[in-house]
Amino acid sequence: MELYDSATSAWSSSGSSSSSSSKPPPQHQQDIDGLLAEAGYKIRSSDLRQVAQRLERLEIAMVNSPADFSQLASDAIYYNPSDLASWVDSLLSEFTQPATCPSEFIMDPVTNQTVVNNVWTTDEPHTPQVHQNISYEQQSLNHQLTVVTAMEENSGIRLVHMLMTCAECVQRGDLSLASSLIDDMQMLLTRVNTVCGIGKVAGHFIDALSHRIFQGIGVGSINGGSVYENEILYHHFYEACPYLKFAHFTANQAILEALEGHDCVHVVDFNLMHGLQWPALIQALALRPSGPPLLRLTGIGQPSPDGRDSLREIGLRLAELARSVNVRFTFRGVAASRLEDIKPWMLQVNPEEAVAVNSIMQLHRLLGSDSTRNCPIETVLSWIRSLNPKIMTVVEQEANHNQPGYLDRFTEALYYYSTLFDSLEACTVQPEKALAEIYIQREIANVVSCEGSARVERHEPLAKWRTRLSGAGFRALHLGSNAFKQASMLLTLFSAEGYSVEENEGCLSLGWHSRPLIAASAWQVMPDPAAEFLAWDNHQSFS
Amino acid sequence: MNCGFEWFFKRICFKLLGFFFECLKKREMAGSNEVNFNECKMVVPLNTWVLISNFKLAYNLLRRPDGTFNRHLAEFLDRKVPANANPVDGVFSFDVLIDRGTSLLSRIYRPATTEEPRPNIVELEKPVTGEVVPVIIFFHGGSFAHSSANSAIYDTLCRRLVGICKAVVVSVNYRRAPENRYPCAYDDGWTALKWVNSRTWLQSQKDSKVHIYLAGDSSGGNIVHHVAARAVESGIDVLGNILLNPMFGGQERTESEKRLDGKYFVTLRDRDWYWRAFLPEGENRDHPACNPFGPNGRSLEGIKFPKSLVVVAGLDLVQDWQLAYVEGLKKAGQEVTHLYMEQATIGFYLLPNNNHFHTVMGEISKFVSFNC
Repeated sequence: MELYDSATSAWSSSGSSSSSSSKPPPQHQQDIDGLLAEAGYKIRSSDLRQVAQRLERLEIAMVNSPADFSQLASDAIYYNPSDLASWVDSLLSEFTQPATCPSEFIMDPVTNQTVVNNVWTTDEPHTPQVHQNISYEQQSLNHQLTVVTAMEENSGIRLVHMLMTCAECVQRGDLSLASSLIDDMQMLLTRVNTVCGIGKVAGHFIDALSHRIFQGIGVGSINGGSVYENEILYHHFYEACPYLKFAHFTANQAILEALEGHDCVHVVDFNLMHGLQWPALIQALALRPSGPPLLRLTGIGQPSPDGRDSLREIGLRLAELARSVNVRFTFRGVAASRLEDIKPWMLQVNPEEAVAVNSIMQLHRLLGSDSTRNCPIETVLSWIRSLNPKIMTVVEQEANHNQPGYLDRFTEALYYYSTLFDSLEACTVQPEKALAEIYIQREIANVVSCEGSARVERHEPLAKWRTRLSGAGFRALHLGSNAFKQASMLLTLFSAEGYSVEENEGCLSLGWHSRPLIAASAWQVMPDPAAEFLAWDNHQSFS
Repeated sequence: MNCGFEWFFKRICFKLLGFFFECLKKREMAGSNEVNFNECKMVVPLNTWVLISNFKLAYNLLRRPDGTFNRHLAEFLDRKVPANANPVDGVFSFDVLIDRGTSLLSRIYRPATTEEPRPNIVELEKPVTGEVVPVIIFFHGGSFAHSSANSAIYDTLCRRLVGICKAVVVSVNYRRAPENRYPCAYDDGWTALKWVNSRTWLQSQKDSKVHIYLAGDSSGGNIVHHVAARAVESGIDVLGNILLNPMFGGQERTESEKRLDGKYFVTLRDRDWYWRAFLPEGENRDHPACNPFGPNGRSLEGIKFPKSLVVVAGLDLVQDWQLAYVEGLKKAGQEVTHLYMEQATIGFYLLPNNNHFHTVMGEISKFVSFNC
């Protein structure tokens, strides 16, 4: 161990970098400090010195103004604490410089303990103190918000025009004009109320545009975020507004009806997340008059990079629930980075079981076409057909964000997300609201600043999905009045006036102030005329 | 909480001015903080310094002045690892729910045998083979508020203990403060002890008994003492106590506390915070949980207390209390081995990159294998 040299502030590197596994690490990982890796931190040995210096600076800052530090604690979002270097940097930059973009906002990620994908949930309850602090700040904010001047309104309108102009420049390729517009818009933002309304949404669009202009078309870099974070954000979006709840309720109702009379059922969930959709279905199946079926659930999800088997953990929790209501249940997790990487054999569907395929906001991700091969959506739809599901529930954003022209896409997104944010204003629960906004912000960033395979948020309206799915051999199952009733009842739980459910040719949509934002539909496989002869032979029913 | 760009910008600007003035003032006052860094950096390897400083920083974010704790952020920041029934470096682990009522989990670490390098789920609780197999019940540190049995640093430490002591290690995920104050942690330790004692698969072949040792660092060391005391009262045999930098304290400010305050990662203020968070409200640090041989404590004279191995780090500001503990044991006629590691700081046993680590691990191994 070598000592600190006060003259040059240089550390000599010390300590062994032994790896815990018996194999030597691959070349590019050999610089990672092995001992810290065992402690859960990824940091290169060559970065240790720098990180140490920054930790020192943070400590000085902390000692000198403890009040700010505790503010940092209550206001901060921390991304990937394992990456020590960037974690320390983000704290340092937040603490010593003013934030210039909303995307640098930091917030306290509160996890909902009942569905955290971790057997090791803490038994410690929420401390009420946190919420008290938040509501006090919210109150003072609300006071500030009530003053909306005419100047602000004009500025808001100007901002929208400038945004469109900027997007048009981007479409034309005139990046220098676009970047000067960014500057102007940021100036204008200081005169607009950015806590709510167009000011807040504009801020996000400016960020996304800025990212596209200055950093080039992102390979998802503006989104960053680990699998774990995405799940947390999704969960808060679920809590803060009714869209996902509507999706789940509606899909579950359709699935229940389609699986009636079957004793072996298999639900395939295209995006398990925290499995929020399934407790309700499990409970509904338990209460089935004919008795619960044997339920298999296959949950597809992102692989966790740090070795946590989050799919399995969710599965365990769901299994426990099923056990408690006497529903025979098995779970299987299938980890895949992209839906198109899934092959049908991975789902292990038995011919005897009744299959339900559930896709909540996943199909649109398959619409990016790689010119060298088939459109992934066709491949996936075709193997879904091959599973012969009794029902496929599809929920998608009701928006046209996959148009080839950039300006069209941008404009559509601006109106869509303004409406979405507007509906979110009704939510008062923190930090659900704040994290839900981050969730939406990431979607915006993807629509606006990404292209090619990185752009996965390729929302299409229901009309387009109808055409596409019919063309792929599916026909629509009308969602019954039961589903409509469910959805309306759900809305009464939200005291916010402004949400509306609409029925449209058998599909339901949930909207804000008569603008539909999310649409749910159900589909079954169209019988293949040639196969119908075989079907009669095998006594299969296509009804 | 969430705020517009403008509001946030204004708030930070105002505070920054204040910050800069304070900074100037402090530099004029011969910048004592910088001296602290120098001393600190000279005694630990760089990666250890980064690790412990990072903890210090994170922990500062979690403790609120009003005594509440930002548990959600703590759980988010804590680096955790899952159990692994596949042996890694000869050790496999699995989690067991010991008490459903309190959701008391424990992680069990076992050495992999050469015959079955890959245990299947049925064999996780296969009886231990061996004339004498030590079972170490481990209580992780964290000043009663931080960390869990599945924290990466403690998972790693327990795995090392298995190898070094050829033991089974049971790491207890006890309830933490401030949500769960005294005596929850001790109750959980006691529950775990009873559970371990009653596992037939943990019995050594020599005498069909479970050979139990209690071990812990920081608050875990404190728990070791109190669980052992309870074991003695209830007739469960504990063969030895291992206390690594145990967390003790008292109302009085000792010389080491004054001399070392803030010098090696730890401040008196944070120590006080943790005691306030753990002890029953209204109690002071002379409560026997904190100060077992203090004015409200109880002598262990005449009691068949297990032999103790107490490791004290010479740069730990609470060493005077740890030394008082050792004296208290000696005065009561109890067998105690006292290891004083002069140049060691807190957490030296977390990374195997220093001599103190190897010395202490060697002593622990001897302590556990020596059967009287």
